[in-house]
Parts: sequence; structure tokens; C-alpha cells
Amino acid sequence: MELTDADLVARVLADDDQHAFGELVRRHQSTVRGILRQLTRTDIALADDLAQETFIRAYKNIRGFRGEARFSTWLYRIAYNCFREDARRRKELVGVDEEQWQGEQDPQTVDPGLRHDLMHALNLLPLHERTAVVLCCQNGLSHDEAARVLDIPLGTVKTNVLRGREKLKRTLAAWGPN
Amino acid sequence: MNAMIDDETLDRQLREAAPYIDDNGFTARVMARLPAARREPRWLRAMILMGMTLLGSGVVYLLSGGGRFVREGVIQLSDFPVWLLLIFAFGCGLVVGAFAVILAIRKTPEVRDLARLRF
Repeated sequence: MELTDADLVARVLADDDQHAFGELVRRHQSTVRGILRQLTRTDIALADDLAQETFIRAYKNIRGFRGEARFSTWLYRIAYNCFREDARRRKELVGVDEEQWQGEQDPQTVDPGLRHDLMHALNLLPLHERTAVVLCCQNGLSHDEAARVLDIPLGTVKTNVLRGREKLKRTLAAWGPN
Repeated sequence: MNAMIDDETLDRQLREAAPYIDDNGFTARVMARLPAARREPRWLRAMILMGMTLLGSGVVYLLSGGGRFVREGVIQLSDFPVWLLLIFAFGCGLVVGAFAVILAIRKTPEVRDLARLRF
């Protein structure tokens, strides 16, 4: 039977079991790196550096994880904090490197034109709306979980998701073929 | 201009546009940067806990005059009417049971999450 995240966290807490933590990294690396790529506007190198920092912080502070939320929610919160601190350090976010990003994607499951349009439209959203859309619409977090990750009121998350979705739809509709 | 798509379709397209990212050595790089694991033997922790418990029990036993208060308490309890003892035992059971349930819920995220589920 596969161990749950809670079981693995318990092993890390009890025995400082780095193998258990490695399994947690393997399980969540894709989502954490994906979210950070969206937040950094697909800057892969920066996103992966931040993702590494996220997991190292998670390991160092794992005793602060009280199991009140899912482990993944706690992890996304650390990732978001890493991103914000880095953005603050840089003062402004870095630009889009879409060629590099597209080069690393899996075989096409979506029309490449649509994927390009979607990602481009997503990158046009203001950061707070983009973050809410990435967490809730793309990664399936509930509004409540996203509010915990972003440390903002639930109503603000709902508003940001709603506005972000509407802007995305309008942009995609305007770009679409007639 | 195209008609606007619905929320469900938009969410699905967003999910499909961000496929699984292969590990490609990422986990290994993270593991290499982790601080060294603490090597505090478990038996040492167990010995410390056991020693403290025994020491505390010994001190209490000596300070209480060889546990005399326990004997006196039992004698006093035996003078109580049976119905009062039954109520006392039932009350003790309820209190201990309530503490056990609260602790179990606090220690088990899956159980706690049941309260958040909306059917």
C-alpha cells in the first residue's frame, strides 16, 4: 500500500528520514515547479531555483507543519513566499521566455496554438489574478486552500479567480479564429 | 470574434496546457542540498523519558509518605454509597473518553477533514 503524505511526514518528523522526504519531493515537484513557472512567467531556471528553495525550507521547517491543511497546500504556501521574497529582491519580475518553456513540454496534448494563446493570455493577467487562477483553475485547489496559500481573505480569492477567468475568456475569444 | 468558453472548459484547457514536469534529476539536486539528518538515537530518547518517569514517581512516592494518601483515599471511597461510586466511575469514564476522542481527532488529519466535507 502506498504511503500517504501524512505517513511520510510522520517518518520525517520521527526519524529525520530523508528517504521519506525524497518521496515527498518526487510526488510534488511537478506541481510546485509548474506553479512557480507560471508565477515567474515561465522562467524555467528561476522557477526551478525557487522550487529547490521551497523544498529545502519545507524540510527545515517541517516541524511547523501541523497537519491542519494538506501537505501540498502547506508546500504551495512556502513556494509562494519564496516567489514573493525573490520578486521583492528583484523589484520587478523577469520577462517571458516562451521558446525555452515550450521546448521542455511533453508531447502535445493540447493544440499548440491554443496552449500558446492560453499561456500568453495567462501571463497578461495581473499577478494576483494569475496566481489565483493558477492555483484554483489549473491546480484544482479550493478557494479556501488558495486563501491559505496566499494568506488573503477567501472573498478576495473568489474575486480574483472570477476576474481572472473572465479576462482569460475575453482575451481568448478576441484572439480566436473568426 | 469567438463566443466565450465556459468555466469548465477553460479550467480543463488550463490543466492540459500545464502537463506533468519530468523530474530529470530535480529531486536528487534537492536531496544533495538538504542539511545532514540529525542522528539522535531513539533508544536514548526512550531512556531519558523512562528515567524521568521513574524519578518523578520515586519523588512523589517519598513525598507522599510511601503512598499513604492512596490507601487513605481508597478507604474513604469504600465508605461511599454504591450508587455514588457508580456515578463517580461513570463520570471518570466520560472524562477520559472525551479526552481520548479529542486527542484522536487532533492527531488524525483524515478524521478532522471529515468535518470540512460538504455533501
